[in-house]
Amino acid sequence: MSTVLQSLSTELADAVESAGRAVVAIHARRRIPASGVHWRPGVVVATNHTISRDENITATLPDGTTAPATLAGRDPGTDLAVLKLAGQKVSTASLRLDPSPKVGELVIALGRPGPSLTASWGVVSRVDGPWRTWQGAEIDSLLRLDLAIYDGFSGGPLIDGAGRVLGINTSALARGVPVTIPVATVERIVGELLEHGAIRRAYLGIGTQQVRVPESLARKLELKGDVALLVVSLEPGGPADRDGLLLGDVLLELGGAAVSDAADVLAKLGGEGVGKPLAARVIRGGQVKMLQLTPGERPTSRAA
Amino acid sequence: MTAQVRTRGAATGAGVLWNGGESGARGLVITNAHVVRGDRATIELSDGAVARARVVARDRKRDLAALEFEPGRAMAATVVRDSPPLRVGELVIAIGHPGGLVGAATLGIVQATESAREGRAPRWIRADVRLAPGFSGGPLADATGRLVGVNTMMQGNLALAVPAAAVEAWVRRSHAPVAP
Repeated sequence: MSTVLQSLSTELADAVESAGRAVVAIHARRRIPASGVHWRPGVVVATNHTISRDENITATLPDGTTAPATLAGRDPGTDLAVLKLAGQKVSTASLRLDPSPKVGELVIALGRPGPSLTASWGVVSRVDGPWRTWQGAEIDSLLRLDLAIYDGFSGGPLIDGAGRVLGINTSALARGVPVTIPVATVERIVGELLEHGAIRRAYLGIGTQQVRVPESLARKLELKGDVALLVVSLEPGGPADRDGLLLGDVLLELGGAAVSDAADVLAKLGGEGVGKPLAARVIRGGQVKMLQLTPGERPTSRAA
Repeated sequence: MTAQVRTRGAATGAGVLWNGGESGARGLVITNAHVVRGDRATIELSDGAVARARVVARDRKRDLAALEFEPGRAMAATVVRDSPPLRVGELVIAIGHPGGLVGAATLGIVQATESAREGRAPRWIRADVRLAPGFSGGPLADATGRLVGVNTMMQGNLALAVPAAAVEAWVRRSHAPVAP
């Protein structure tokens, strides 16, 4: 019986050791450093929220030495950041794109909040389809974890029992609940950040709230659904404000599709939507009105 | 290798059976100083034997205490793992008595191994294992059942254990071996 435990123990420690060779510490904020993963030769992936300065960033490598790193781009939407690390001999992570993780699969979260490696273990607690972060970025699949978070968790990799990377961990996308950004999403964002330095993401500058349209009004206006979106905030000078949307308008349709949830609006935006007008159907003063809204590019400032 | 430690009738924690009275020596249980407040305690061994014990050494700073008792029949003592060094990710098992429950075990992994700086031994073993009150003073063992540390406290989600080597050194230093 002890041999089963012993071999599991050895395999776990082997997985940690091999994957740990690609995990670095990122010094880009006060106090405790965060983690990063050497994703491709010379390219380190980390989390955006743990990088509070754009310059004077250093990385502690697995061998304990320190090297300068430069910020290549960051994306608040997915909480990812890409750094460049020149001329260093660090292993690159071995990635597992397929098969996707399963609920109940044994996983390990690695971190390097300083010179030494840390690990916590647990299981994948939820796997689901694509989802959007509160800033509108699309993540290819939802991966929630049942494991403990320690210093250095964010920016570190989630690995499987063989030491292969399943994604980048962050505690900043779901109110402190540990979430993993899957390999597919990281690959896409790394590619875009290396090319453009930022992720173009369309936005309208509105805040909305779900409202039920009174039945009589819905019948009178011949609406399909009975839930729409009340505009409760409007960024002054933002795209929607410029195009004449008013506070109190009730948004029924955008780009030809009914909207009953903020996610429906985000689905019409995305990176390619910048500058392309969308037809908007709204209720204003009891009447249906058509507007043209042209999404702008979401500012890339940290607070965006 | 686990003993339950009771003071004034209440189960207060766990202990490590350091010496089970083999070759006629007196029995010795190591636990946390915060588990035994007074000078006396009752210990219950894993075979159900109950013995009265006396505190013969205590170190509040290291949070360690040594309890001596008269063993009924000899029991095999704890085997300490001296080498190889612990690896991050390795399995560890904590045994204790949460809520007075006897012999509860919880499985986790080594969370971090502090690099021994300038030849100094690491002060704590950090384990990703969920401990409850009642695990204090009990053993943290590796996958083969050898002692790697004495569970002492939780820091957030992290269990901190005094490394077995440090316990060994402390026992040697502070507890004059009882000659039979």
